[in-house]
Amino acid sequence: MKPRSYQFFTGLVALALILTACSGAATTAAPATPDKVSLQLKWVTQAQFAGYYAALDQGYYKAQNLDVTILEGGPNIAPEQVVASGGAQFGLDWMGSLLSSRDQKVNLVNIGQVFQRGAILEVSWKNANITGVDGLKGKTVGVWGFGNEFDLYAALAKHNINKDTDVSIFQQPFDMNDFLNHKIDAAAAMTYNEYAQVLEAGHSPSELNVINFTDEGTAMLEDGIFTTADWIKDAKNQDIATRFLRASFQGWIYCRDNQAACVDIVVKHGPALGKNHQAWMMNEINKLIWPSPNGIGQMDPTAWQRTADTALKFGVIKAAASKDSYNTDYATKALSGITGDTKGAAWQPTTVVLDGAKP
Amino acid sequence: MAIKTAPEPLLASFSWQTRLLAGVRRYLPAILILPSGLILWELGVRLFNIQGFLLPAPSLIGQTFADNWASLLDRGWYTFQEAALGYFIGCGLGILFGLVVSRFGTVSAALMPIAIAINAVPIIALSPLVRVWFGIGQPSKIVIVAILCFFPCLISAVRGLSAASPAALELMRSYATPEIETFVKLRLPSALPFIFNGLKVCTSLSMIGAVVSEFYGGLMNKSLGTFIANEASQVRFRSSWSGIIVACAAGIAFYLLVSLVERLLIPWHVSVRSQSK
Repeated sequence: MKPRSYQFFTGLVALALILTACSGAATTAAPATPDKVSLQLKWVTQAQFAGYYAALDQGYYKAQNLDVTILEGGPNIAPEQVVASGGAQFGLDWMGSLLSSRDQKVNLVNIGQVFQRGAILEVSWKNANITGVDGLKGKTVGVWGFGNEFDLYAALAKHNINKDTDVSIFQQPFDMNDFLNHKIDAAAAMTYNEYAQVLEAGHSPSELNVINFTDEGTAMLEDGIFTTADWIKDAKNQDIATRFLRASFQGWIYCRDNQAACVDIVVKHGPALGKNHQAWMMNEINKLIWPSPNGIGQMDPTAWQRTADTALKFGVIKAAASKDSYNTDYATKALSGITGDTKGAAWQPTTVVLDGAKP
Repeated sequence: MAIKTAPEPLLASFSWQTRLLAGVRRYLPAILILPSGLILWELGVRLFNIQGFLLPAPSLIGQTFADNWASLLDRGWYTFQEAALGYFIGCGLGILFGLVVSRFGTVSAALMPIAIAINAVPIIALSPLVRVWFGIGQPSKIVIVAILCFFPCLISAVRGLSAASPAALELMRSYATPEIETFVKLRLPSALPFIFNGLKVCTSLSMIGAVVSEFYGGLMNKSLGTFIANEASQVRFRSSWSGIIVACAAGIAFYLLVSLVERLLIPWHVSVRSQSK
């Protein structure tokens, strides 16, 4: 080695050592290393998960001494599978799916019920004349499967329509093309996502008939935070869970009080669908959370029981669900560390105009 | 003058008992692998306490299959229909095109590289697009399978039709044989082994195409692919595996069927003869 490059190299090493020593001194003064956890989302990055992104961006997770990695979901990613196999500590899924997993002896437990109301619809074009569930008889009906089909199945069973013989149920892909091309008569849609996609394709709500499963009485609880029963047994993990919930709830409160800023946070994380769509979604998601009569993330036992009964009655689960499916301890404890309005009783939705939609 | 075939294999002149014993000895190792594999799998799951949702034990999968065999076979048949229809359309068109194209040397020289390149493309990636064009029902799956089968059959047909021995071709010419007779009596029989190669490859391609394109949407109570994906997503892996078994069985059965047809049509070919060594 030439002498000059040798000097340079030595200097570089010395500098690196000095810097390490300095940062080493800095870390000894800081609190203990943050606990590393992952959250498996139910779908791709979008405003449906704004609260968690806000908690990340606003430093709520950091304040709770957590290093949170948010794992994007997508087609063929089942949060139950990811969490059960240890790929993440926390996941988001629907109660029907969680109960079904528990029925398969996969011991998952809900620790926070963020969405208080359901958002799944079955939409159809006005000229298909599907004004109610009875109208689905003999039609081609789309539903996603992957654990999202139970509200529809329960509604069909309630109206004595045999899902195998009286209707043609197609597994609908995760876009609305088949519905927009009139290849299927009715399609599943979330108020906050696919419904907007249909409108954005140049349609008006007056062209559509909507079946709302909440009105039908077969809606089951949607997005909730869950983990494995084994993981939450550990006292250290219970503390981590409480802190995680506290920061996440703070994130959702932020998104309630700063709706526009929250949309920007989501957009920053690169969702597939643009800002205007995310603005619609944020507004609709807030409608599902607020008001939370008992406080955000608190499970309403009556709502849970209704979901459990519907699941059992219409064959989603073979054995009655046990109350061990959910644990409210950590969510309740999480609330105690939050100042400010955790119920959102006064929150009012805004009106979001979708680009491309007809009035 | 007929082209002489090779002498009959020596084995055929032995008694049927000797031939049976020889057959059993030849195939016994292969026959034993499957049950021993299953036993190892079962033991492995039990010994290492592997959780059911990661890898279910074969005994449980078998039980799930036994409980639902009627609906599973129903699904298998529904999906197999898509595979078979697409297979016949794709392979039929592929061979036909091959016959036509090989007639014109320059055309085949121009088309073959393109066909080989397209064959290397994962056609199954077109499923979402084909679904938009042809709808969510069976037609879109048949189209995917047909595209999958078209190119291998085209390539094997063109290759086969140029595989006739030059000496034999010259002999035909020296007898002033009309071209059509040369084609039927020499080129086509020489091409058959290549064509059957393509046909056998396409049997597995057709099942793969049908099942995987159903992952992207299909009739929920009838499709096998939709069933496999849906059950897996809801952690019902035993159910998913039982669906996979049906798909495997259908693929293998299809392959064996085509192999049987091959054995009947071209018993004189080396590839068939060597099996009865």
